[in-house]
Amino acid sequence: MTGPLLDIQNYRLDISTFDGPVHVLKDINLTVNRGETLGIVGESGSGKTVLVRSVLGIGPKASKVVEGKIAFDGQDITALPEKDWTKIRGIRISMIFQDPMTYLNPLFTIGQQISDVIAAHEKAAGHGVSSKAARRARTEDLLDQVGLPNPAMLFDQYPHQLSGGMRQRVLIAMALSGKPDLLIADEPTTALDVTVQAQVLDLINSLVEKLNLTVIMISHDIGAIATIAKRCAVMYKGEIVEQGLTADILSAPKHEYTRRLLAAVPDIDTAAAKVAAEPAVGTSPKPGVLLEAIGLRKVYRSQSGTEVTAVDSINLSVATGEIFGVVGESGSGKSTLARMLLRLIEPTSGDIIFDGKNISGLTGEPLRLMRRHMQFVFQNPHSALNGRHTIGDAIGEPLRIQTNMSRRDIEVRVEALLDIVQLPKMFKYRYPHELSGGQKQRICIARAIALNPRLLILDEPTSALDISVQAQVLDFLQELRAELDLTYVFISHNLAVIRQICDRTIVMKRGVIVEQGETERLFLSPQHEYTRALIESGRKTSRAANLSASAGSQ
Amino acid sequence: MLAFAFRKVLTLVGTMIGIAALTFVITNVAPGDPARLVAGPNATEDMVTTIRTEYGLDKSLPEQFVVYMGDLVTGDLGQSIVTTRPVLEEVLRYAPATLELVFVAMALGIIVGVPMGMLSAVYKDGPIDHATRIFSISGVALPAFWFGIILQLTFAVDLGWLPVSGRLPLVTRPPETVTGLLLVDSLLAGRLDTFWTSLRHIILPAIVLSFPCLASILRVNRAEMIEVLQSDYIVAARAHGIASFRIVAIYALKNALLPTLAMIGLRFGWMLGSTVLVETVFDWPGIGLYAVSSALSSDFKPVIGVTLVIGFFFIVANTLVDLAYAWIDPRLRSA
Repeated sequence: MTGPLLDIQNYRLDISTFDGPVHVLKDINLTVNRGETLGIVGESGSGKTVLVRSVLGIGPKASKVVEGKIAFDGQDITALPEKDWTKIRGIRISMIFQDPMTYLNPLFTIGQQISDVIAAHEKAAGHGVSSKAARRARTEDLLDQVGLPNPAMLFDQYPHQLSGGMRQRVLIAMALSGKPDLLIADEPTTALDVTVQAQVLDLINSLVEKLNLTVIMISHDIGAIATIAKRCAVMYKGEIVEQGLTADILSAPKHEYTRRLLAAVPDIDTAAAKVAAEPAVGTSPKPGVLLEAIGLRKVYRSQSGTEVTAVDSINLSVATGEIFGVVGESGSGKSTLARMLLRLIEPTSGDIIFDGKNISGLTGEPLRLMRRHMQFVFQNPHSALNGRHTIGDAIGEPLRIQTNMSRRDIEVRVEALLDIVQLPKMFKYRYPHELSGGQKQRICIARAIALNPRLLILDEPTSALDISVQAQVLDFLQELRAELDLTYVFISHNLAVIRQICDRTIVMKRGVIVEQGETERLFLSPQHEYTRALIESGRKTSRAANLSASAGSQ
Repeated sequence: MLAFAFRKVLTLVGTMIGIAALTFVITNVAPGDPARLVAGPNATEDMVTTIRTEYGLDKSLPEQFVVYMGDLVTGDLGQSIVTTRPVLEEVLRYAPATLELVFVAMALGIIVGVPMGMLSAVYKDGPIDHATRIFSISGVALPAFWFGIILQLTFAVDLGWLPVSGRLPLVTRPPETVTGLLLVDSLLAGRLDTFWTSLRHIILPAIVLSFPCLASILRVNRAEMIEVLQSDYIVAARAHGIASFRIVAIYALKNALLPTLAMIGLRFGWMLGSTVLVETVFDWPGIGLYAVSSALSSDFKPVIGVTLVIGFFFIVANTLVDLAYAWIDPRLRSA
């Protein structure tokens, strides 16, 4: 019982690839004491997931421990044979994951999946599997423990019938079923809405106390880490560059990377030094309304005949040259709205007026020509580019479709566009997988501006990117707007980002606008209860709030 | 789920009408005058005219179509010219033999193909994987008639382990017909020796018929398993301490089975069509052989009848696959 629960010493891990070994983890030294909550912060590709999966013996297949060891409760688990793992995995160390949808098997009921885990643990413990009814009772207990209502009904439901927050709670229940000593939480809130994030973090916090859990939580969101971890480690390119008390790291980061990371976190409580103070007065001669939606409505009808109103009577007008924010949680209808504005989805009723022209009735050729003036940037740059096309093909595609430009001219234009998005010309010969997330999003933006559109609709353009990259892309978007005289409709669930760049914002909930106005006013004096709730839960994980809170309690 | 099943059955009826219409079009587009064909080369013009009236071929095409569809609804598939017996009666007599062959071949394909695909996926790029891949490529590549003859030569002629062809020896009295499937009927009649004899007869044709199907089931299942095994919920199941065997055989397989099922449905129809070749090679008295011998004697009604019956079984099989899909995947049920 003495000594740390988890002790990682000089741990080095290589993954063998086609091009030789890659050093994924370099000289990791980390200890976690009983009852402690440790945070690990790092960007995607920093090796944090590989590290915690190694602790659970489910690291990548072609990996090889070069040096060092991992000891759990005094036992060396670096090279544990598979059969010994069954006594540890899920029982003494368990894990919760990032995306609760993909981590639950879609074809089995919640109850089946949890009771199966319980059965596996009982088998591993060697005292026989208990009856179905006993396991059901225990499962319902667990579901109750993680704050899920009506466990008896949930037992027979499938993952797709649950919301994201509920699914994450189910995963937590599953992780708790073995009464673990150590719980590893791998980005447990990243895929969740802000209000739900705060609830899940609260739940983890309360479980730590109630069950005397030791927790390792990894995240790219330093705000989330700060809410639950006293101590944290910062990982960068496979190394731990800094570790210590979270409060110390936040207030006085030592490593250069940590400083960069902290600087890049958008702060919900700071008004942005917007370039947009004068909404492009000089550049556009007649600042007027560019895009207007009147009574926009979308109703989906399922095969069984039930109707779901995704977007209901939306009225909005976007002025030329402004950045118009749309904020809301998943399911609030913001993506449906964005796609309707471009007529990618047919509205059930309502009008869309672009540049004084009603485009809701347009079909065929006129609609196609209209599209060159309004372009879309998608959330996930990794899936928005065709992996079999070169970057040059991707950027040139709208030019080939919409214009009669010659091959040569397209080449020239593609190079010019790459220049605009600040990437080397030679990138046109590359393929998407050779690029980083931020670079890919720049390519997507280059593709969107290829036809000199007047309006860009950006659907969560930074959500799939790392924080430091997010800051770069946001800066870049603002520069670009000034340069090319663009108007943006900017959709996000991240309030800090919205505050940083949007002039005016609408807040959406369940398909309707609950509040709208100047972004600053929304943040300073929110009128609607939902806006207040959003800001409040956003603040909970925001850095500044935590910094002062933990500094105050020290 | 009931509404889903009902919709599927409606689709089935619609598709059946489509197939019937299509066969009608094909027979009328095909060159040659059926009446003259029936009458034979030495018939006089009068005889041809009589036959034309008798078969209703003098009416306009829409009229003929109405009559044709009406006959189909009442189960009248016309008459065979060679045997002068109703086609329906003959098809029903030959169909069980074909179905028995297809069922056994399909069972073989699934029972061998699915686990081999799983093994191949679990030990990806290992020796087992390479072996099954070579096996499956040859399965797709070998022509059925050639493979059938090679099997006959080896196992029946050279080694003498199995009979060369046929369903039962002439001297064996077939069991009382209940289902028409000899394997089942002989068991029902309690005649184990007949069961054994018919099993020995069915082995070679079933292997030939199932080999390409087995290979494609294997390949689809392997590819799906590889993908599913990399998915997040499999990682999660491992992290929660579920035993590897259970993960592969239950958690992953159920997910991988969906595309495999689609392949099985398609292959079922393909097999029914392939019986034409296999039954000819093995002299298996099913509808394939019946269709071939009718076609060779320009007896076109039976060919249409067999086409319709094969189409019918194919659609039924695919409807069953659709229902199985919904049964496995809860997301389809609620949609």
